[in-house]
Amino acid sequence: MSHVRIEGLTKRFAGKPPAVAVDDLSLEIEPGEFIVLLGPSGCGKTTTLRCLAGLETPDEGAISLGDQTVLDVRGKVNLPPNKRRIGMVFQSYALWPHMTVRRNIGYPLRTRRVPREQARTRIEEAAELVDCAALLDRYPAQLSGGQQQRVALARGLAAQPDLVLFDEPLSNLDARLRDQVRAQLHELHARLGFTAVFVTHDQSEALALGDRLAIMKAGRIEQLDTPERVFEEPATEYVAGFIGMSNRLPLRRQGEGWALAGQPGADGSAGQAVAGELPVPRSHSEVAARLRPEDLQLCPAEEKPPAHGLALPAEIVDAQFGGRHMDVVVTIAGSRLHARAPLTGKPWARSLSRGQQVTAWFARDAAIYYDADGVRTAGHAPAAAVGA
Amino acid sequence: MAAPAVPAPSFTTTPPPQVPQLPTALTRARRHLPRLGALAFLGVIGYLVIAPLVGLQRLAFEDDARGYSAAFDSPDMAETLRTTAGMALGSLVIALVLGTFLAWAATRLPPRLRLLRVLPVLPIVVPAVAAVTGWAFLFSPRPGYLNAALRNLPWWNHLDEGPVDIYTLPWIVLITGFGLTAFVYLFVSAGFGNINAELIEAAQVSGSSPAGVFFRVTLPLLRPVLVYGGFVALLLGLGQFTGPLLLGRNNGVNVLTTDMYVAVSQSPVDYGRAAAIGSPLLLFGIAVVLFQKVILGDHSRFVTHGGKAFRSGGRPSWVAVTGILLYGLVALALPLGALIVVSLSAFWSGRIQPSGFTLDNFRRVFQESGITDAIANSLVTSVISVAIALPLGFIAASLLLKGRRFRIIRAAVDFIVAMPLGIPAVVFGAGFLLTYSREPFILYGTRTVIVLVYVTLMLPFATRMQLSGMVALGDTYLEASRTSGAGALRTNTEIVLPLLRPTLAGAGALMFVLLTHEFTASLLVRAPTTQVMGTILFDYWANGSYPLVAAIALVMTLVTSVGVFIAMSVAGSDIFEKL
Repeated sequence: MSHVRIEGLTKRFAGKPPAVAVDDLSLEIEPGEFIVLLGPSGCGKTTTLRCLAGLETPDEGAISLGDQTVLDVRGKVNLPPNKRRIGMVFQSYALWPHMTVRRNIGYPLRTRRVPREQARTRIEEAAELVDCAALLDRYPAQLSGGQQQRVALARGLAAQPDLVLFDEPLSNLDARLRDQVRAQLHELHARLGFTAVFVTHDQSEALALGDRLAIMKAGRIEQLDTPERVFEEPATEYVAGFIGMSNRLPLRRQGEGWALAGQPGADGSAGQAVAGELPVPRSHSEVAARLRPEDLQLCPAEEKPPAHGLALPAEIVDAQFGGRHMDVVVTIAGSRLHARAPLTGKPWARSLSRGQQVTAWFARDAAIYYDADGVRTAGHAPAAAVGA
Repeated sequence: MAAPAVPAPSFTTTPPPQVPQLPTALTRARRHLPRLGALAFLGVIGYLVIAPLVGLQRLAFEDDARGYSAAFDSPDMAETLRTTAGMALGSLVIALVLGTFLAWAATRLPPRLRLLRVLPVLPIVVPAVAAVTGWAFLFSPRPGYLNAALRNLPWWNHLDEGPVDIYTLPWIVLITGFGLTAFVYLFVSAGFGNINAELIEAAQVSGSSPAGVFFRVTLPLLRPVLVYGGFVALLLGLGQFTGPLLLGRNNGVNVLTTDMYVAVSQSPVDYGRAAAIGSPLLLFGIAVVLFQKVILGDHSRFVTHGGKAFRSGGRPSWVAVTGILLYGLVALALPLGALIVVSLSAFWSGRIQPSGFTLDNFRRVFQESGITDAIANSLVTSVISVAIALPLGFIAASLLLKGRRFRIIRAAVDFIVAMPLGIPAVVFGAGFLLTYSREPFILYGTRTVIVLVYVTLMLPFATRMQLSGMVALGDTYLEASRTSGAGALRTNTEIVLPLLRPTLAGAGALMFVLLTHEFTASLLVRAPTTQVMGTILFDYWANGSYPLVAAIALVMTLVTSVGVFIAMSVAGSDIFEKL
């Protein structure tokens, strides 16, 4: 178990101009903690992971694993990967095709000079953990994708490293297998308690696995928090957009209330007053409301939404059948928004057609409001779902 | 998120973290060890490749560049330059057209006849000296078998000789072009393989006719390959030696390479003049190598397109089948057939007399100690050279792929390793002869000098094939090993080498084939007592012992075929495409 400390990590890639992949990043990881680095491609999450592994040569910063300083650019320390007590699981599995499963799993034990008899039992234990005990004498090419990834997992864990690194290990699996291996990984971590850093661009994976999530943007950590808080209270608009609050509605203060700040549309809805008070401090005159599709409700234009709701005139662009719900695209004052209208007991939504005028509404405290810099405005009560 | 592929298993091994502030002399030395190693390697291959070239130029510039004035004041020089350029360009055009056609045809074969794809490559199996002598047996003006046959035709029946005179420039160009076709075919075939089938299908469903697809989509996509393959063929054409020497020399058809050979093989030996004659080839070769490094970038040609493999889309074409078979007949069956007939005859005349066929010539090949020694020399030197070139190529390829930290050393290795491909073997032969006939290494007449020149000539192949093998392997297997706690040495021995085994076997076998063929450089560095197969064949050719020549040529071909067979069975039938 280990305490991982990253300080001021910076990595640039040569080019014109040089690309900063990781920008002065600092992060502390508690022993046994499962940290997920989450972000879109190009945000520096994989580079950060590779710096932890020793596969990249950072330009600045220091990293320590437990009591071992593995990187200190100023002190000219940069231990090669094999001198760090780590395990790593790759996106492409990277099982060596010329070795059996047994030899693959046993490799990190051999490099660390574990005595033969002891290695034998540990290989079998590791294989047992991931349900691959029956596959030990096969070659990787004879395994399915899910089996390969489980063997890769066993290899990463076999030497009981201080830190296990995961580089998008589930993204090559199909959807069903991905859920299976994910559940298995979660269970393994709960049982063995290893320290882990897991890189992914899949928010549901991140929410399911992480003790804490680090949402990354342009080489920096935008928000570092528990999955619950990241999900319910994204600190910035960027995080909100990434974690599923895909609807963005710009609003401008108008007199005592608020008005839509979108482009003046042909329907004249822009500039139209839409609300009385919002849970936003008085100092802000322009905000953007962020909203999940589930929280945007639709009702016939003539109906009136409940009093806590904020009603908006909307026009249907498209509606797709989604089983228990309809995926509806509407425009509100020139902004395209996405609503997920439940079908249970509400057959009305099934009949939506293009061009139809409807009322869209959302509960004032279901949205989160961000100022012009994309930072969450103060004075917002945590959404009810988190619980008191 | 794909991190830029900078494999940085930084083996700047640093001191243990407990004492990071006190780098002892030992740890400091260890940190510089990789750089020193890379430098030492550069020194070795640099000496091998550059020392002979520098030695030649120094002689050429001695006494106010006497070598240059001797070479370029000669009244025949202009004619020689014209002939050289004409031969290179003529054979290039033939090879480009034929090679592209054959590569296209290979994609349009019916499934049952897919095996015919290897046919255009097979002429590589026949050593150049063997093919050239085979052609001479067919088209020599008087006793050539095909000439004799053609003279039976009514409109030629008044002739005493001809109608073809193989000893003239146009026919030498044609034969050279045939020889280069296989190389162009290899490049273009690989290019076809890299074209995503959907691009072709997209053009078809957009309404293009088959010809339209070929000229508007396929050919433009092949342009980089054609340019690259064209340059390689042009360099080979400029350095062409065997055809002009065996066919043109006695008829006043001279090119730079044969002039150079004459300058160092006939007394008075004039190294200075020889060096000067070779200079245009040297400069052009260096220019092409530089052009390729700067313009084409280093690994771009190993990048393959994703998506489906190439399917030409069109139905199997009988034009394609006929074309490939015809080419196989002309380029392979005819010269080999002539060799077989002559080798079975007591003497070479225009008439084939099956009743007089005998195996005496083969018996002599295996009885005369001069010939058996030459065969043994060829085999031994080739095997030793392959055994040396493979590790050198492995180091060079590793350095090119992972040595980004040593920018200058890496660029120098990249350039030096490519030079033997750009500069004709005859220049290297002359350089080695000069360099190793004097202090500090007097090796003339030994097998060692042959091995040295062979290793040098094979550096590009050893490096390129292993490099492309490593590129195909990718970084992840290596990174997985490093993060599993393995050092660089264990990663190489337990992961890289086992995974590269097919590549190594293929590269080894291919080099063995090329070396048992080797004629040009061998002819320059051989001594009367230290011959190889190609040179002994040439001696018998010069003596006019044609049936024996044919037998030796067939034995050479057989040895090579065995090599190719082994190569293909170990490394798969696509080994030539990895060149």
